[in-house]
Amino acid sequence: MQTNFPSQLPQDGIRTLLLAMADDELVLGHRDSEWTGYAPILEEDIAFSNIAQDEIGHSLVWFTLLTPLTGLTPDQMAFERSYEEFTCCRFVTHPKGDFAYTTVRQYLFDEAERVRLTALSGSSYGPLKEAAAKILREEAYHLMHSKGLVERLGDATEESHRRMQAAVDLAFPQALGMFEPIDGEAELQKTGVFPGNVTLEHEWLNNVVSVLRGASLKLPIQQMNGKLKPQCKPELGGRKKSHTAHLQQLVDDVQLVYRMAPGGKW
Amino acid sequence: MTDTQWETYEVFHQTKKGDAHIHVGSVHAPDPQMALQLARDQFARRLKCTSLWVVPSRCVTATNYQDEDFFAQTTDKSYRDPKAFGAPDKLDPHAD
Repeated sequence: MQTNFPSQLPQDGIRTLLLAMADDELVLGHRDSEWTGYAPILEEDIAFSNIAQDEIGHSLVWFTLLTPLTGLTPDQMAFERSYEEFTCCRFVTHPKGDFAYTTVRQYLFDEAERVRLTALSGSSYGPLKEAAAKILREEAYHLMHSKGLVERLGDATEESHRRMQAAVDLAFPQALGMFEPIDGEAELQKTGVFPGNVTLEHEWLNNVVSVLRGASLKLPIQQMNGKLKPQCKPELGGRKKSHTAHLQQLVDDVQLVYRMAPGGKW
Repeated sequence: MTDTQWETYEVFHQTKKGDAHIHVGSVHAPDPQMALQLARDQFARRLKCTSLWVVPSRCVTATNYQDEDFFAQTTDKSYRDPKAFGAPDKLDPHAD
């Protein structure tokens, strides 16, 4: 599609990678926005509304990079695709749950984003490298916020600990789905575009385990040959477009207004 | 029942380095670090900002609105007002 695309780089793989990241951000951004007006504390209500807008802003960055590779505008990609064409991980599609679940999910996601964006700011694909570095600056503050909540709520009171542990039990196997391999990953690794999900997951695990343990939260994990290994079944499928009714409902909500007035301008 | 409300912090916002920090409102937070973060979301997203201060509201000692005499001018003190010369809005201490 794009005429001046560097010929040595795998265009299909880059398209797949960008779309997975764009869909993750769009969907989680929408889930975060569902707290607007409902968060347990006014300040967190506003904070989550801000984060929601930031995440959707990040999806716009990735969709914009996709435009020359797909010939579609960001609006077309966000609002005209069926949920069966989304490649977000299932993790971000689950309902927002209670505030403990939202906090834990946001933390696990932010930690993964930091690891991924840090790696991508050294990518061999220029546009990706630049955008990653820019988003990373903002993402650092998301992580500070969600990590701050996890560290405080993990062992604040009996109730907060119980709810946070339940959230971790639910969210952790889902979160592993963020690192489900994508099509063309070997090519992306070989050409220095992307270091691969195995590497990222390993780095993510090290960070997550130390923060959650510090907050008195347990993870189903074992140390094997000096490496941390999850002892649970990851929830996969999202990257292969296998989704649940949760995403269908969410996409219906997101696209409702757009579909009422196709091509409308405001 | 224990009070589960977070304490409040008063928020002071500075637009540019060297300017005074101006009180803009307050936030609930469990500790000073979270207060700074929440203050950032509340007050520094749209306003240009170079620095924020947060101060536990309990550390502020204030006058009482009922005690009007505290500020009352009961005798004529107009002779103290500098009326005979104009002062520029912006004083430059290094001007001649």
